Amino acid sequence: MPVVDVDPDELRRLTGHDEKSDEELREDLFALGLEYEGRTEDGEFQLEFAPDRLDRLSVEGVARSLRYQYGDDRGVYVPNTNSAEWVVEVDESVPEERPYVTAAVVRGLDMSEAKLESLIQLQEKLHATMGRKRAKGAIGVHDLTMLKGRAARSAAGDTSGARSASSDDPRERAARSNGDGGSRAKTITYRGVEPEGDRFVPLESDTDMTPAEVLVDHPTGRTYAPIVEDYSRYPAIYDEIGLFSFPPVINGKRTEVDEGSRDLLIEMTGTDQWTIDRMLNIVCYALDARGGRIEEVRVEYPDRETVRPDLSTDRKSVTHERIESIMGIAIDPDEVLDLFERSGLDATTEESGDEELVYRADVPPYRVDVLHALDLVDDVGRAYGFNDLEPRYPDVSTVGGRHERSRLEDAARDALVGLGFEDLLDFHMISEIENYERMNLDSGGEAFGASEGVTITEPYSEDYTMLRTWALPSLAMVLERNTHRAYPQDLAEIGLAARREDDENTGVAEARHVAAVLARTDASYEDAKSRLAALCRAFGVDLETPATAHPSFIRGRVAEVVLDGESVGVVGELHPEVLVEHDLEVPVAAFEFRLDALGGG
Amino acid sequence: MPRRLPETQVALLEAASATDARTVEQLADELGEPPQAVTRAALELEAEGLLAVEERADERVTLTDEGNGYVGSGLPERRLYDAAVEAGAEGSPVPLGDVIDASGIDGPAVDVALANFARKGFGEIDAGEVLVSDDPRVDPTEDPGAAALSAVEAGETDSLDEATLDRLEERGLVRRTSSTVRSVTVTDEGVTALMEGVETAETVGGITPELLTSGEWRDVEFTEYNVEADAETTYGGRKHVLRQTADRVKDVLVGMGFREMEGPHADAEFWINDCLFMPQDHPARTHWDQFALDVPPMQELPEDLVERVRSAHREGVGEDGDGYHSPWTEDVARGVDLRGHTTSLSMRYLSGHAVGDLEPPQRYFSVEKVYRNDTLDPTHLLEFFQIEGWVMAEELSVRDLMGTFTEFYRQFGITDLEFKPHYNPYTEPSFELFGTHPETGEIVEIGNSGIFREEVLRPLGVECDVMAWGLALERLLMLMYGFEDIRDVHGTLCDLDLLRTTEAVY
Repeated sequence: MPVVDVDPDELRRLTGHDEKSDEELREDLFALGLEYEGRTEDGEFQLEFAPDRLDRLSVEGVARSLRYQYGDDRGVYVPNTNSAEWVVEVDESVPEERPYVTAAVVRGLDMSEAKLESLIQLQEKLHATMGRKRAKGAIGVHDLTMLKGRAARSAAGDTSGARSASSDDPRERAARSNGDGGSRAKTITYRGVEPEGDRFVPLESDTDMTPAEVLVDHPTGRTYAPIVEDYSRYPAIYDEIGLFSFPPVINGKRTEVDEGSRDLLIEMTGTDQWTIDRMLNIVCYALDARGGRIEEVRVEYPDRETVRPDLSTDRKSVTHERIESIMGIAIDPDEVLDLFERSGLDATTEESGDEELVYRADVPPYRVDVLHALDLVDDVGRAYGFNDLEPRYPDVSTVGGRHERSRLEDAARDALVGLGFEDLLDFHMISEIENYERMNLDSGGEAFGASEGVTITEPYSEDYTMLRTWALPSLAMVLERNTHRAYPQDLAEIGLAARREDDENTGVAEARHVAAVLARTDASYEDAKSRLAALCRAFGVDLETPATAHPSFIRGRVAEVVLDGESVGVVGELHPEVLVEHDLEVPVAAFEFRLDALGGG
Repeated sequence: MPRRLPETQVALLEAASATDARTVEQLADELGEPPQAVTRAALELEAEGLLAVEERADERVTLTDEGNGYVGSGLPERRLYDAAVEAGAEGSPVPLGDVIDASGIDGPAVDVALANFARKGFGEIDAGEVLVSDDPRVDPTEDPGAAALSAVEAGETDSLDEATLDRLEERGLVRRTSSTVRSVTVTDEGVTALMEGVETAETVGGITPELLTSGEWRDVEFTEYNVEADAETTYGGRKHVLRQTADRVKDVLVGMGFREMEGPHADAEFWINDCLFMPQDHPARTHWDQFALDVPPMQELPEDLVERVRSAHREGVGEDGDGYHSPWTEDVARGVDLRGHTTSLSMRYLSGHAVGDLEPPQRYFSVEKVYRNDTLDPTHLLEFFQIEGWVMAEELSVRDLMGTFTEFYRQFGITDLEFKPHYNPYTEPSFELFGTHPETGEIVEIGNSGIFREEVLRPLGVECDVMAWGLALERLLMLMYGFEDIRDVHGTLCDLDLLRTTEAVY
């Protein structure tokens, strides 16, 4: 779950509540569902929260939610936007894997170090969540004054590009070339670039590189290379001067934002238009809270044209009856309207055709989590305070009971415990080495336990690479691990074993196995068989033990377990090879068979 | 008729006198029996009224090893004095080192000698030199301590004064112990018994079938055991503590009207995630969270259900519902994983594909294993048990949810449940459940709950409300038993000793 670092002083400043103590803030945040995890070295709160309210990934967003909670703000707020001066043109050459782009301009910012840090954190957290580690959406923030817009084909009349520059300061020079003529559109282009195409100087570097070189030679490039390395052309954004951004990998150094930056271009590229548009909205709201003025950007695809950011509200409906039934209380419609406003939504009531009271709610454009009427109920409930509801035991009558399989398992376990076995509980995941090799067994043979196992595609470690095909290897591992503990060690386990089986719908045949070991100085085949027989008697199952061969057991001291005529397991004395392999210095008699055989059909 | 008594009692009764009190120790010596056995026989005869036993406290002074050593060679301060005098330290100081060497004392005795030398005023030790006292009142040859040690050795302690003994005891040279001395005399009844004759009763080691059938058991005495001695340790069979905890949970849930679910560990992502309205690009669906299996895609999925689930993901549910802006393909849905939660079972049951269509009301649960690609540490395992439960009814509210879980956790001693509004892709509203650890008092997360979204229920064909919750059984176990490392309990790294000695919780 995302963790956001939030400076409590910034929070007090942005909410306008200087009087709140850290303790009070923590309680208010908990009520929002933000869990206090601790502090950073700089004394910032580390807040963990569930990834629904991604608009709270910054101190500005958290402060906005608190202001609604305090009742300082009510209803939907939508920032004003100035009309577009900049255009993002989408070229036909743009990689088909990453066709979407969106952008906004924000002017008049006074970037302090704290504000800049907050922006960078917001960008990172959005990348990690909505952006799916930049694969789905990636954000680029640029110092606008460092960009030189091309006079657009769509700009009315004026085609003049750069003026001659006399200053050596590139920021000043670019600013002059952009700063005049309000109506003149300035164009940047989102397009594809050959891997070994144009060179640029990426962030945190001093040399110019091709995009392909960035993926190999730049640490950030290496991190994000997997997203683009299979593309035939890489995504790139150009202004009049040249390539300045290589999304989703890295920006160019030329447009790097610092504390002196006042005007920003925010662009986002990705695989889904809605996703990057919402990410952009969240960033715009955060910068608006910092006093920035949002300016629209025109996005021109080859076949359509849009204006971004799209700060229109969304409308969702919910019935009064649904709100009452979910909350379990009777509530006045006026109070519901008030609760909507305190959640940052605007709602009106309407009697629908069948005289049902319905709320029509406007949802602000930074919300990404309102998909359905129930999400509105949740907002109302949170604003009401779910914890103020009185718990009640539901007046619903049902009859309880255990599943037959688990009753059988329990009865077998009780019988084993009655026979003196210590009941164990081992992992179902194991390694090939433990499952086969250390049991002196080859994979794929006929012997019990030797069937082909189900392997895990990307295991956690080499100790857990497959599902065990039988349970005795687990018990042998427990014996190995406990040679310093008192003997006798009579251990048993009833648990899952699985093997590859094409006839199964999942390709996996699952079964519960009963396994037992008797590790003691005088353990013999007879000890194992007598207990096995006792177990079978208890379940009224007929036991036969025809001799067999099994590499895990001593030849001549091993038999098949045949229950009611079906061969379902093995019983015998473990082979010295297996004992020595597990550092055991006592004989071990053992048996294992399929639990369902005790069920007697 | 002669009296039958155990052998030792007969011997004691015969050896004791009716006129002279004799100590148990003397008698034990005479009979060649251990004093404890004779004491026990004496007390038993007293209980029979045949012997009178008189007790008195006896104080004894004995030499310790150190004290014993000084009897031979003299107290170390005395030896130091003698050596100093020999070295000419009467009148003029001589180097201390030479004196110590000459005295032959070494080790810890040197410190003892120096401390007592000064304390007893034998002389002065200053700047590494020793000067013996010329005070005529000081006469080391008449030191009462040395004399007392000799007296103790000789067993003549009655003449010694308390102060001297106290000092010697403080120095660890003598040991004073008090013990009970018992003296016995034969009572009149005992004399009568002796005159009428006493016989030794037979003692036997154990009951035999012959003894019982012949009736001989009436005439035998059983050899006495030391019933206070430790017995051999047995562990016996025992259900695993985690199983016991699971049984407890199952009992509680069955009592609350829940039926148990059952289903596959390896299952299609469709049942594990897609039915739960988890977008296919949800971070928790990557291999970082779930174990994919190296098997072919699931062969059969219910086609109409697949279509309804796809539609919920893409278009949403309800008039103005929205879907996700995430890709959705059937290929991903058919991938087979180890289930990351047992909610996959709930989906199978709710869809009607497990036990047929279900009409409200219903309650179902399972306590079964789930698999997560998490970091293995003292509180996290790659596979653990999840308690999963749900209630289906025409209408359910957050209050019903709170009431149900309050009741469930109360059964485990957790009575201050807190509900923190939370987000899950599959429930709305959702709550994380917090409770106070009964031992440490800290607030810990103990579950996750909510009311299933319509995007989950409608595709499954469920038109009423369903609320659900889940928590890790191991979390409950650690709360109940206070274990610190779950790996000691669950899995092949377990410690048999811990499993054998854990106290039962019920």
